Amino acid sequence: MTDTTAVLGYAWPLVVSPGEEVAFHLSSATLEEAEATLLRVRCADPDPDGPGLRLTAPGTPLDGLVALRHQPLHPGSCAIIPDAPALRRPGPLSVGCFLWPTAPLAGRQTILSRWRGDQGEGWRLGIDAEGCLEFEVGAHGQCWRVTAPQPLLEREWVFVGGVLDDAAGEIRVVQQSLDPQAGRDRSADAAAPGPRGVTWPEATALVIAAEAREGGETPLTEAHYDGKIDRPRLHATALDAAALRALCESLTPPPGDPNLIAAWDFARDIPTAHVRDLSANRLDGTLRHLPMRGMTGANWDGSTVQWTEAPHLYGAIHFHSDDMHDAGWSPDLRFTIPADWRSGFYALRLRARQGSDDPVESFVAFFVRAPLGQPRSKLALVASTATFLAYANSALRLDQVHAEAMLEGLLTLSRDDVYLQEHRELGLSTYDTHSDGSGWSYSTAKRPILNMRPRGATFNYGNDTHIIDWLEQIGQDYDIITDDDIHRHGAQLLAGYRCVITGSHPEYFSRAMLDAFDSYQRGGGRHIYLGGNGFYWRIGWHPTEPHSMEIRRGMNGLRTWEGEAGENALSFTGEPSGLWRSNGRPPQRLVGVGFDAQVFTRSYPYRWREEARDPRIRWMVEGIDLEKPLGDAGLRGGGAAGLEVDRVDATLGSPPHLLWLATADQLDYGGVPTLEELRTLHRGAMGDQNARVRADVAFFPTARGGAVFSTGSIAWACALSCDNYDNGVSRLTGNVLRRFLDPRPFEGFD
Amino acid sequence: MLVNDPEAAHWPVDPARLDLVEEFRRRPRGPHSDALQKLLHRMRWSGVGQRHVLIVLEPNRRWMLGRLPGRRGAPVETFPNRVFTDLAAAEWAVFVLRWEALTGQKLEDGSSAA
Repeated sequence: MTDTTAVLGYAWPLVVSPGEEVAFHLSSATLEEAEATLLRVRCADPDPDGPGLRLTAPGTPLDGLVALRHQPLHPGSCAIIPDAPALRRPGPLSVGCFLWPTAPLAGRQTILSRWRGDQGEGWRLGIDAEGCLEFEVGAHGQCWRVTAPQPLLEREWVFVGGVLDDAAGEIRVVQQSLDPQAGRDRSADAAAPGPRGVTWPEATALVIAAEAREGGETPLTEAHYDGKIDRPRLHATALDAAALRALCESLTPPPGDPNLIAAWDFARDIPTAHVRDLSANRLDGTLRHLPMRGMTGANWDGSTVQWTEAPHLYGAIHFHSDDMHDAGWSPDLRFTIPADWRSGFYALRLRARQGSDDPVESFVAFFVRAPLGQPRSKLALVASTATFLAYANSALRLDQVHAEAMLEGLLTLSRDDVYLQEHRELGLSTYDTHSDGSGWSYSTAKRPILNMRPRGATFNYGNDTHIIDWLEQIGQDYDIITDDDIHRHGAQLLAGYRCVITGSHPEYFSRAMLDAFDSYQRGGGRHIYLGGNGFYWRIGWHPTEPHSMEIRRGMNGLRTWEGEAGENALSFTGEPSGLWRSNGRPPQRLVGVGFDAQVFTRSYPYRWREEARDPRIRWMVEGIDLEKPLGDAGLRGGGAAGLEVDRVDATLGSPPHLLWLATADQLDYGGVPTLEELRTLHRGAMGDQNARVRADVAFFPTARGGAVFSTGSIAWACALSCDNYDNGVSRLTGNVLRRFLDPRPFEGFD
Repeated sequence: MLVNDPEAAHWPVDPARLDLVEEFRRRPRGPHSDALQKLLHRMRWSGVGQRHVLIVLEPNRRWMLGRLPGRRGAPVETFPNRVFTDLAAAEWAVFVLRWEALTGQKLEDGSSAA
C-alpha cells in the first residue's frame, strides 16, 4: 500500500508560465527528507485496467533529496485588528454585537476579544462549553467572569453584550433574543463582581471570532467561533442594555462620539479581506482564512436577495472554526520553468521509504500554461482548474448520508480519503459542509489538495489525464490552458487556437469564462466538449487573489448543501450564483447538451441515431459501424455513457442546426434525473421509465466556420484507451478532432 | 438548512425474504429487483450498523474492510484480516453484516462479523 500522505505540499502559483518560478511548500510530520523529482503527467490514474500511471521526468536541477520539516496548519477564520492606543484605554468598557451561533455547544468560543491566552489577561466576550454567553476580564493575575443563565439557541439571532463597570466593580452580560416566542426566548442578563481599575495588556491584537494565543501583530488564534457576527461595537463607557443595543442597532454610530472606540461595518468591502471601522479611531482589520461575506444580518428583511442592492442588510460575516484558505507554509523548493518547456499537467513527486512495506509516493500538482498570445499548437486542452478547486479535498463520501446510495455500492476509500477523515485541517471542498453544518463556498490552492494529483481520486483531474494520454497516443500536439487564464484573459486566449477541448467535467464557469467560449464559438472557433455536467454552476473568482473561487449553491440544482435564503450572491463579485440554467444560460445554448442525470449503477453504450447518416458529416463516422453500439467498453462502469450525463433539449437552447447523432437513453433504474429536471411530482422519473434521462452526442456548426461537438458523458474520456485505443469512442473523437483542426468550413447548414 | 436525515430510509425489512438475500448473493452489483433495490437503499442510506467501507490497498485490485467512525477527525477503523480481491465478494460480506444488524439473524453462509 503506497503512502500518499506522509509528505504533502502545494505549488504556488498553481499555474505558471515558462520562464516563471514555481515554489513548492512542503510539510511532513514524520519524514526528514524525500527524493524529489519533477514530472510531466500523461496519465495520473493508476488503474491497472487502463494506461496506468504515465509520468516522465524531464530531468531538472531540482531533482534530488529535499529536507523536510513539519509545518502545522492553523484553521479557523477570524478578523485581526492590530493593537492600537484606543484599545488600551483604561476605564469602563462595553462590547456588543448581533450573533447567529451555528454550533453553540461545540466548546469554548470567543466572539470578541482583546485577550492574551498565554497570560490570561485582557477581556473576552465568548460562549462557554455549555453554550452560555460569558464575559471574562483578566488582569493582575486575577480573572473575573460572568455567565448568562441560559444557553444560546443554535441558528437564532440574539443581541449579546459584555460590560465592565470598573467604578462599580462589576461585570455584566446582556442577551436578548430577537424572536422571543414559542420557546425561542433566551433573553437573560447577569452581573458579577469585577475589577476596579484594570490595566490592559500591551501588544495584543483585538480578535473577532477567536482570541489570541500570544502577543504581537499576527498572533496565532484559538477558541474559534462558528456562526455569524453582525455590527460589533466597542464603547468606553459602561452602557446599560438598552444603550448598548441601540449602539449596535445603529448602522452609522456617530464617529464624533469620543467614547466610541470602534464600530465595524462588515457590509463594506465585502469582496475583500478588509473589515472597516466607522469610528474616528480607524481600527480597520484583516480577515484570515476567508470567512463567508455578503451574509444576511440580523436586520435582513427579505426585501432583497442581492447584497449589492442593500449592503446595509448584509452586515454579517459567517466565521467557521474550520475555515482554511491559506496554509501559510514556507517554500522548500523553487524552480524556474525552462522557457522551452511544453505547457502541460506537471507534478513534483516525493518518494521515501522505497523498498519498504509502506513506500511513500506523494505528488504536488501544478500546471504550466501556454501563455496568452504564444500558442505552440492549433489545439488547446483546458485544465478545468475551477472544477478541480471546487472538488478540492472532497469529504463527500466520508460525511454525507446519501453518498453510498448515490454511488450504488460500497464506498471505496483511498489512502488520501483515510487521511482526510482524520485531518480536516486541510480544508474541505465546496461539496462539503463545515463542522457547523453550513456549506463551504470558497476554495483556494494555497493548501495541499489531495484529489488534484497523480494517484489521487480520479474524478476530474485523473479522468482528464485520459484525454492527455489519448492525445499523446495519437501523436497530436496540444497546448494546456487553464480556467484561471480563460477567466483572466477571456476570448483572446481561446482565439489563438483552431480547436479547444474541454474535458470530462468542466462544471464550474464564471461569466467571463462563459463569455469567452461564446465569443470563441461565434468567431469561428471549434469546441470539443468531451464530458458531462459541464457549464453548470455559476462561480466567481477572487478579484485579486489568484486560484480562489466561490460558489453559492442556492436552492436549485444538484447541491450537496443548500444555501440560506438571501445568501446566494457571490461575495467576490456581487453576481448571482447558482445554476447557469437559472441564470438564463443553460449549457444547451453553448454546447448543445446540458446536464440531466446521474447514473452510477453502470455505464452504457450509445446507439446511433438516423442523423448520424447525414451526408454533411460523413467525415465524422468514417470507419465506424453505425449498426453497432458506440462505446460499449470503458474504465468507468463498462461503457462510455455514464456517471453524469447531458441531453439535447431545444427548449433549453440546443440550436436548430444541431445534429443529434447518438443517444444512451436506456439507463435503467440507476439513471436518476437532476432536481431541476422535475417540475412536478410524479413517479416514473427514473431512467427505466423516463426517456429524458440520457446521454446524447451532438454536433452543430457555429458562425464563421466554427463548430461544436459534445459527448454528454463524464465516462467518455475513460473509454478512449479501451482495446488499445482502437474503439468507436477513440475513432469518433479522432475523426472530429482531425476535421476540427482543418480550417475548411462546414458546408450545407445554411 | 435542508439536511439529509440518516433515519429517513424506513422500508420495512422482512427477515423471511431470503429470496432477496439469494438474489443479492448471486448478483451483488445488479441489476436488482424492485424489492432488493428497496432493501439495499435501506442498508446504504444509513450505513446500517455504522457504515462499512473499503480501503484501497492496490488500485482496482485489492481492498480492505473498514468502518467510518461517524465523527469528523476520528480515524477510520480497519480490519486487516478482511481483504478482498473482488468487489462483489466485498459487497456480499458487508451485506451479511447489515442483514444481521437489520434482522438480528445471521446468514448461514455469512462470514463472521468484522
